[in-house]
Amino acid sequence: MEGVAMKLPSFKSLAPNAISIGHRSFSRVRRSSSLSVFSAASSSATVATNSESVSLGHRVRKDFRILHQEVNGSKLVYLDSAATSQKPSVVLEALQNYYEFYNSNVHRGIHYLSAKATDEFELARKKVARFINASDSKEIVFTRNATEAINLVAYSWGLLNLKPGDEVILTVAEHHSCIVPWQLVSEKTGAVLKYVMLNEDEVPDVDKLREMLSPKTKLVAVHHVSNVLASCLPIEEIVVCAHNVGAKVLVDACQSVPHMVVDVQKLNADFLVASSHKMCGPTGIGFLYGRSDLLQSMPPFLGGGEMISDVFLDHSTYAEPPSRFEAGTPAIGEAIALGAAIDYLSEIGMPKIHEYEVELGKYLYEKLSSLPDVRIYGPRPSESVHRGALCSFNVEGLHPTDLATFLDQQHGVAIRSGHHCAQPLHRYLGVNASARASLYFYNTKEDVDSFVVALADTVSFFNSFK
Amino acid sequence: MAAAAMSCAASLRLISFKPTLFASSVQYPAKALILRPLKPSELPSYRRTIITFQKISTGTVRPPSASSSPSSSEDVQPIEELPPKLQEIVNLFQSVQEPRAKYRQLIFYGEHLKPLDPQFKTRENKVEGCVSQVWVRAFFDDQRNVVYEADSDSSITKGLAALLVQGLSGRPVPEILRVTPDFALLLGLQQSLSPSRNNGFLNMLKLMQKKALHLEVKGEEDSSSGESLESSFVPTPETNGGASVVDNDTESKPSFVEDLGAEDSDSGSDVVALGGRGKRIREKLEKELNPVELEVEDVSYQHAGHAAVRGSAGDDGETHFNLRIVSDAFQGKSLVKRHRLIYDLLQEELKNGLHALSIVAKTPAEV
Repeated sequence: MEGVAMKLPSFKSLAPNAISIGHRSFSRVRRSSSLSVFSAASSSATVATNSESVSLGHRVRKDFRILHQEVNGSKLVYLDSAATSQKPSVVLEALQNYYEFYNSNVHRGIHYLSAKATDEFELARKKVARFINASDSKEIVFTRNATEAINLVAYSWGLLNLKPGDEVILTVAEHHSCIVPWQLVSEKTGAVLKYVMLNEDEVPDVDKLREMLSPKTKLVAVHHVSNVLASCLPIEEIVVCAHNVGAKVLVDACQSVPHMVVDVQKLNADFLVASSHKMCGPTGIGFLYGRSDLLQSMPPFLGGGEMISDVFLDHSTYAEPPSRFEAGTPAIGEAIALGAAIDYLSEIGMPKIHEYEVELGKYLYEKLSSLPDVRIYGPRPSESVHRGALCSFNVEGLHPTDLATFLDQQHGVAIRSGHHCAQPLHRYLGVNASARASLYFYNTKEDVDSFVVALADTVSFFNSFK
Repeated sequence: MAAAAMSCAASLRLISFKPTLFASSVQYPAKALILRPLKPSELPSYRRTIITFQKISTGTVRPPSASSSPSSSEDVQPIEELPPKLQEIVNLFQSVQEPRAKYRQLIFYGEHLKPLDPQFKTRENKVEGCVSQVWVRAFFDDQRNVVYEADSDSSITKGLAALLVQGLSGRPVPEILRVTPDFALLLGLQQSLSPSRNNGFLNMLKLMQKKALHLEVKGEEDSSSGESLESSFVPTPETNGGASVVDNDTESKPSFVEDLGAEDSDSGSDVVALGGRGKRIREKLEKELNPVELEVEDVSYQHAGHAAVRGSAGDDGETHFNLRIVSDAFQGKSLVKRHRLIYDLLQEELKNGLHALSIVAKTPAEV
């Protein structure tokens, strides 16, 4: 089946510097990536700066037809992958394939198509499990997206376990999807939300977080990589401290899973969520990773078919996880396509993708900060601090909306302006909105150059009115 | 997770605009528009900015009131219907071809917008759905023309606001309410007119019209004899439904027949005995209007066939009435106001199945 390639562990084929991930959380690569697929790969384990080899971004561009178009008379430069990623053709083909050749409802039927669909669907689940190194595919619950996954934990685990006076620790930089569900649930349960502010590096203050932990803390819900600040939190460390006081940890990995190796066993997180559409997969599917014992203890979230064992008129009994949390017909084709996306990413190799993005992200940061009056949010990149490959920024005297509009209209550059679903963070930073350019492994150095040129032009245009 | 779902970019696409348009009807809410035939290399952009080329898929059903010929540019509100200042602005933009020059023009307008006093930057004056903050204020001048003031922290949005302020200020309410967002097409700014909460331009216009309406209603309230008026707008013939910006429950809008003063020839002879509703109507009108003459005639049987009646009304199908009222309460009121007065009194009935009224409303002197 197209797009469903079986991966063989091939650690030996990894070039040594493909594992050079500076960040402490990922010093060990436990996942496989067969580099032999790309003939150029073996000669270019290093990144774009080597002019003899073709950079990763250039190599993969042919897989993304959507990038080859003009908008408003200019070549499209897509710098909004943090909002949603583009999909390679193999993913689209996998989706099409499903509907064209074996679409059938899963888990219920006996006939051939149904069995095949079920197999592929469950195989996709296994792929997700393997991708994040979960110990069992039963620990993967398919949801509509990461937002739904967080709501699942909030309404299922939260309502059961949070009592009046219990504390939930968040950061001020969380995405709304990791704030609002906790607000809703704490209203119902009487739990209290506590927020970790930023330190002078514009990163959530982990020391303060540690201080805030107490026996009252029941949950710590934090992002892995911030979609605004591009900062990365030391999850392993946070989990250790949280577990010491008996608190659980939920990791919002939406901006990390697509870009780097994420190993849930290593992190030892209790819950982890991510969305398919940010990692080259289709929209409409995401997942929750939950430790087996935790999922076992949780009551259903949504009720319906699939999640039941026996149904009577006055009561029902429920299925085991993960089915317990997957009511109704799932997004079957989408799950399978997510599996194809995982295969695609794995073929390239997450360490390689991460390394490429660290370089490109640094390049973006440098070029952006070389422009006058540009203020980039989040930590400065350094040897010890690796930023995600995105920059949220503001230009003095220029509204981000104007900036994004002009970039789009006059230069075909797609960035995002607004609060990026992080209003509390923007309020904390003292701004209404910011502009954000975000990269993915299909972006190139030329994309960054085009963006910076366009930005300079935009700034000078608006400055001409002053 | 969709980030920045709230971004309201008052973003514009500036093109040299050709007059051939494919557009839907001028009614609110404005429907998706094809601005020009798209080349194969262009794809519609579905981003959350104001500017989108919205391609109408073949499956889209056009609103019934739209003209049947799709290529007719008559579907766009003719420029002559616009307030004079707005026409000037449209002409100006049409004469400027180059996109950047259009931008400059727009921003220039914005720069010369009279500043809005901070005390007016209130929640009620804020345009919804914008991340760039926009405020609009409206008040009457001494001739009951609406005067607008506006501000924004984004240059482009400010420019758009300035266009609207300049174009609509100093005009009477009905003229303002007649304006549809179509004129934005004529500007050659690629303006999406789809009603989404991110569409700052559309929302700005809507807010300005809502405020104009509110001023009108409030003005009438102050000058009328203390009857509290709903903000449901009585449509004038040429803007049938077009100005229903504030009207939330269009479904329950009664159809009514305005009897313009002519004697109702069907009154009198075949009087159907009044049921519960009829009695209630009579009582209410007697109590509130102190009429010299009052006739309430149940003519529901005449309408018993049509769909809206079937099964909709309580009270044994009492849905249509002829009313003839002669009362001093109508003194000094226009016809429209008289009918509105009566409708307001019969609000309850209208909500519960009364479908239509045919009204003759006179003062004793007019009989």
